[in-house]
Amino acid sequence: MNRNVIFILCVVVAITGLLLIGKRGAKPPESANAAGAGNSQAASAPAQGAGDPTKGSVAPTFELKSIPDGKAIPLASLRGKAVLLNFWATWCGPCKIEMPWLVDLQKKYGPQGLQIVGVAMDDTEDKEIADFAHKMGVNYIVLKGTEKVGDLYGGVDRLPLTYYIDRSGKVVDETVGLASESVIEDAIKKALQQGN
Amino acid sequence: MKPYRLLFALCVCLLNGALLCAQDSATPQGRVFVNFVSASHVAVSPGHSVPIQFTFHVQDPYHINSSQPLTEELIPTQLHFSLPGEVALGKMQYPAGKLMSFPFDPSTKLSVYSGDFIVRGVVVAPSVASAGTYTIHGELKYQACDNNACYPPKKLPFTFNVKVGSAGRATQKARPTATSPHIHN
Repeated sequence: MNRNVIFILCVVVAITGLLLIGKRGAKPPESANAAGAGNSQAASAPAQGAGDPTKGSVAPTFELKSIPDGKAIPLASLRGKAVLLNFWATWCGPCKIEMPWLVDLQKKYGPQGLQIVGVAMDDTEDKEIADFAHKMGVNYIVLKGTEKVGDLYGGVDRLPLTYYIDRSGKVVDETVGLASESVIEDAIKKALQQGN
Repeated sequence: MKPYRLLFALCVCLLNGALLCAQDSATPQGRVFVNFVSASHVAVSPGHSVPIQFTFHVQDPYHINSSQPLTEELIPTQLHFSLPGEVALGKMQYPAGKLMSFPFDPSTKLSVYSGDFIVRGVVVAPSVASAGTYTIHGELKYQACDNNACYPPKKLPFTFNVKVGSAGRATQKARPTATSPHIHN
């Protein structure tokens, strides 16, 4: 092999290595996943889109303001229940389709320990979100989302985005975009059965 | 196979693999939903006005709300400009949205833009405007969806030039240009 070939090979290997190192470097350790609702005691947010909890991992903890009462609700306070964490927005048509299903599923599985939590990713007044949720007949917890919490869940770059969390706080499933009601229900059953 | 060819094939495979891995980590935040295609650059004399049009392209398979969506929750498409004192812009005329329904809600029609759409306006140079070429910064605010999901609102910045001539000279159209880095909120 002549020198040119060795040089080219070295360059290619170096570029490959840099690309792979860059990819790995973009993912923070899962244990760093924690954020607060407001300004206090919030861990520094990871790079955008970096969180994205995977199945089997502990759902990143956070504390967000509920709508309409403004009460701070930590996700950890729901430990022991199966949680359907639904990121949505008032401007999201597919989210609006899911909402009546979620209302029915909360009624059906609430007594078995399901708690649906809708995290509104709107950049609007709380009242607008509250009015919209009221109009949709929402019977589950609605929280005002923040970019920081969105980052913990992969940046929430498309809606709806739903995580199914079992009673021990582990993510058992995830649906991205509009999922059918039966898919959502199956994932709820899985969350209720696991982590006991 | 000659050793050089083998080496070349190995290099290509390595680079492809690395690039694929890198793409995996890319988030849709880097995704382009709308492109700025062009603005008809204009030359205008002080005290006169000339029409201008801005062309945008919504990438397939996305759509964005029109400037007048049918429900109040939906985010309208809007243009905003930072104007130098030498140039003003008249009210923008947005095209009517296409009334379309989507698989996530076949019973509801939405007013949307897809493919190319053109926004028209008028450039006005006050009679006291100084001669020169002015770069104007514009920003298209929009919110995109596809058949299954919606994406957070975005801003598409772009620039275009307006040439203000000497007083008394006739106006003329100049060739279009387009520059548009895509950013988020």
